[in-house]
Amino acid sequence: MSSKSRSKRKPDQFDFVDKGVNDSDSSESEESVYSGLEEEPDTSEEDQEQSSNQSDNDSSDNDDDEDITLDDKSGLELSTEQRKELSTASDDELNEINDQRYTGNVKSQNRKQQKQITVKTADRPDEYDYDSSDEEDIRNTVGNIPLEWYREYPHIGYDIEGNRLLKPEKGDQLDEFLNKMDNPNYWRTVTNKMTGQNVVLSKEDLGLIQNLQSSKHPDSMAENYQPWIDFFTHEKMIHPVTNHPQHKRSFIPSKWEKLKVGQMVHALKMGWMKPTKAKTEEEEEENFYMLWKEDEESEITRRYRAHLPAPKMPLPSHAESYNPPPEYLLTKEEEEKWQNMEPEERRMNFLPQKYPSLRLVPAYKRFINERFERCLDLYLCPRKPKIRMNINPEDLIPKLPKPRDLQPFPTAQAIVYRGHSDIVRTISVDPTGQWLVSGSDDGSVRFWEVSTGRCMKSITMETGSLGNMCIRSVAWNPHPDVSLVAIAMGQTVILVNPGLGDKMVTNNTDNVLHSFSPTEEESMGKKVYADWSSIDTSDKRFENGFRLLLQHPKEVSQVTWHGRGDYFASVMPKGDSMSVLIHQLSRRRSQNPFNKSKGMVQCVLFHPVRPFLFVATQRYVRVYNLLKQELSKKLMTNCKWVSSMAVHSGGDNIIIGSYDCRLSWFDLDVSTKPYQTLRHHKRAVRAVNYHRKYPLFASASDDGTVIVCHGMVYNDLLKNPLIVPVKILKGHAISHDLGVLDCVFHPSQPWVFSCGADTTIRLFT
Amino acid sequence: MADENTPHVQAKFFTKQSQYSIPDTPYSVPAAVGTSELSSLINQILKGSDDSVDAGIEFDFLLDGEFLRVPLDKHLENRGVSSEDIVEIEFVERQPAPKPEDSLLHDDWVSCLQGCKECILSGSYDNTVRIWTTTGAPLLTIPGHSAPVKCVKWLSGDGGPTCRFISGSHDQTILIWEWHREENSVECVHACRGHAGSVDCIAINEERDKFVSGSWDKMLKLWSAAAVAEGDQEEQLEAPTKKQKISKKVQTRVPVLTLSGHTEGISAAEWLSRSEVCTASWDHTLRLWDMEKATQTSQMQGTKVFLDMSYSLLNRQIVTASADRHLRLWDPRTTDGAIVKCTYTSHNGWVSSVSWSPVNQYLFISGSYDTVMKLWDTRSPKAPLYNMSGHEEKILAVDWSIPSLLLSGAADNHLKVFQYNDEKHGT
Repeated sequence: MSSKSRSKRKPDQFDFVDKGVNDSDSSESEESVYSGLEEEPDTSEEDQEQSSNQSDNDSSDNDDDEDITLDDKSGLELSTEQRKELSTASDDELNEINDQRYTGNVKSQNRKQQKQITVKTADRPDEYDYDSSDEEDIRNTVGNIPLEWYREYPHIGYDIEGNRLLKPEKGDQLDEFLNKMDNPNYWRTVTNKMTGQNVVLSKEDLGLIQNLQSSKHPDSMAENYQPWIDFFTHEKMIHPVTNHPQHKRSFIPSKWEKLKVGQMVHALKMGWMKPTKAKTEEEEEENFYMLWKEDEESEITRRYRAHLPAPKMPLPSHAESYNPPPEYLLTKEEEEKWQNMEPEERRMNFLPQKYPSLRLVPAYKRFINERFERCLDLYLCPRKPKIRMNINPEDLIPKLPKPRDLQPFPTAQAIVYRGHSDIVRTISVDPTGQWLVSGSDDGSVRFWEVSTGRCMKSITMETGSLGNMCIRSVAWNPHPDVSLVAIAMGQTVILVNPGLGDKMVTNNTDNVLHSFSPTEEESMGKKVYADWSSIDTSDKRFENGFRLLLQHPKEVSQVTWHGRGDYFASVMPKGDSMSVLIHQLSRRRSQNPFNKSKGMVQCVLFHPVRPFLFVATQRYVRVYNLLKQELSKKLMTNCKWVSSMAVHSGGDNIIIGSYDCRLSWFDLDVSTKPYQTLRHHKRAVRAVNYHRKYPLFASASDDGTVIVCHGMVYNDLLKNPLIVPVKILKGHAISHDLGVLDCVFHPSQPWVFSCGADTTIRLFT
Repeated sequence: MADENTPHVQAKFFTKQSQYSIPDTPYSVPAAVGTSELSSLINQILKGSDDSVDAGIEFDFLLDGEFLRVPLDKHLENRGVSSEDIVEIEFVERQPAPKPEDSLLHDDWVSCLQGCKECILSGSYDNTVRIWTTTGAPLLTIPGHSAPVKCVKWLSGDGGPTCRFISGSHDQTILIWEWHREENSVECVHACRGHAGSVDCIAINEERDKFVSGSWDKMLKLWSAAAVAEGDQEEQLEAPTKKQKISKKVQTRVPVLTLSGHTEGISAAEWLSRSEVCTASWDHTLRLWDMEKATQTSQMQGTKVFLDMSYSLLNRQIVTASADRHLRLWDPRTTDGAIVKCTYTSHNGWVSSVSWSPVNQYLFISGSYDTVMKLWDTRSPKAPLYNMSGHEEKILAVDWSIPSLLLSGAADNHLKVFQYNDEKHGT
């Protein structure tokens, strides 16, 4: 309610027109402000206000105000009247006038001209009357409009009869000049913008303006420094504001403090308490602190931050209801059973009970126990945050190259070799890759031309004394200058010269075999493990290619050649300590490398370059050094029953197929445990094989498929072999629950042969 | 052209066959037009211009050297040719379909064959070589080899009283035979010994005085084919008795040249020129040899085992049959790398043999283990012209030495003869 704030509120209502009357509207005088009074030093403002309020109240009681506007002509009388009044007005009245202005009633005041003064009149008690905000200047009949609108007209507005109110005559510049020169009142003449009249300012008005300009109280008669009572003065008064007598305790020292101090003094005297030592320099200098200490959270803050909420109690079930559904209520027997059980064994630790209403539910007896148990649980089972690893399962799968980048490998069936009438158990390819030999359960061995599928030769074994006619194993001598095939049938191993391929080689082989003469000393004094007998040229079997017969004591399941083609090994699973025999072709003698049976031997293999022999029993593969005659390694296959084995051409990696559908890759340099185990087959793996040149290996299974895998072995010892399954070859039909029984790679092409129970041999290229 | 809304293509037709020449004006044909519609269109045009030409001739249409086998718009789309431009279409009279004519029954698998004038020579897995007339009458069955015969070639079959032919076999020998036509008797004149594996291919040069043979023992051997050559020896005494039965005068011949280089058996050989021989092998390579310098000149690397190869004197290109399903076209004249010019895929099994047409530079036939023989046009790589089925087993050999006869021998013991009338080249 300060004048300052007001003046700021509408500062642009007032423009100063040189020689013009400010057109601030008197009717809108509620908004009137002191303009130019910003710095009015009104120290006694508050007092004035108070007083004005008082006087306001007074005035509202009995009298009313009247608006008087300074006007020309028509307002002249009033102005004179006003002047009269003003002149006659007492100091009080002047005060009142000022007060009116201050109380924010309808007064507008301008620095130069218009002034509105409310004057009390006695005869109008209407309280709204002194609020003249709605009243208009009766001289101004056009309302509160800009007078520019009437600039073109000779008049401004109309009077009550409708006659034009003509503008006062206005002279030209010359008249103006003359007026300026002649008229002594010219300097105090201003124009009322609202009416266009010239107004001659009175002496009082001038004084008012001067006061305003000099930042004085506009009314020179006003008393700025009225006397007041200074209640809260800094000066000391004789009489206090409150007159209580002071409390007694203000004057008596504290007894307890005294006691305390006494105690301390006593303690000091007695030496119980020492005054705090002054800090020594050393102590002061030791300002070290752990730089990183801030980072270590204290136990407490850590526990707060990593708070682990207690696991929630399970929500009560229906059975715990006071009114459980009948199916939750236990029958007599169940209840008895529940009672007889140990408390720990009980499925629930309470008996569901039914109450007709909640009101009848008794207090729960075990409440304390349960709370205690719960606390015990929480106390005895410290909680730990469970670190969950976010691992995309896709990332766990090793990144393998795409199969099509690993060409070549066999992809499609090319040739079917038909001719056998029973299960084909075994196949072998000659070292040049032109011929294929197969042995079947129908007692025949057939020789095939690989490129056309033509059966070139078929040898049917004579039954006779041999009994079992199943050909269990065939193996082509790997040496290119020897043309011999070892055939295991029953208890015999037959060496057959197929007579295919180079004539020179076949003839040489025959000649070498023919020219053999046994040396006496060797045949004597040694136990004969296998009975060697050569077939005479006159024998009918010689025509078929039979060259040598080795009679074994037990049934032979496998024959395999050493890489150089002089030695071959035969396996007799039931031979106990004689289950493996190694035969030497050039000397025609047999050796038994093991005196003791280590289990049922499944298959044996020669190391391709070093004098090692791999012997696979049901669960282990033993690697024997033949030169040193010792066991060099024992591989744990982790499978139940090994069915087959193959050695990589480098000799450091072997694969093992097992009847429990697994194929295990061993890296002999690394471990005796499988480097990788593949379980692609759905049924027993019957045969596994490596390619000699390409990084391929294949496994044949009873599920009728051959799975070809890319198995790259790097020369770099640090690099693990890369194993990628590339192709499932289907084609063989399953009969008698047997699928594919053997698979062999072509020696030079990325082709695989497979033979199966459906009596066919298939070539996949 | 009935529906105005269908897109049309401006097509200009031309032919190299003068009897069918038509005016050089573009025709607007519907874009979806096929070969038969175009053929009838050409027939209409021909009828309008010349009454003497009888209608109903089947034509084939070539766009940029490729046969139209799908509707025209599809073809253009596949080739990326705008259908806005005028399309130039060459038309040729359609190759007539080969007609199965005869089936010659053997005792065993037919492994190789070659025709010559009125005779067909075939080798079989029963170790014999047989001579047939083109009409299917058996003339001779010649036992002589002790193992299945792998290749036969006519050395001279040109109507004279004595014809000569060569056969190679699994028994590692090559026998040169003389056939006296009048007496219908045959005698083995030379036994070429030297190979240490089955002889899989024989190629005779143009002058017919030399031939090369490729074998499983990886060697390429050059032999003289002359009646008398240096180094011929009387058959030694310890030779198998069978041969002595046939002829007492058998002379042993030794190779003039032995070239090694292949790392696997050689499956096919062809003379490219007077001195140049190309061989295909199981080691995935084609090698070119200079027989005068006795060196290998260049090598083309393939990706699969080559089972057969054929060289055309007309277009100087090689087509190979591989142990996959594809036939590949090579140009031995290109030196920069092994470039397969085209791949023909339609067979379902190994392609065992291939043979160019002796008179048409675009045509060749192929036989496959899928029992189907196919007639191909080099300009139609996507599909063969005709499939000739009839065999029940693997086809082991095909031959097109007689222009009018397509021969195929298979593992079902049959040698099938298909009649083929290429009117354009009128046999």
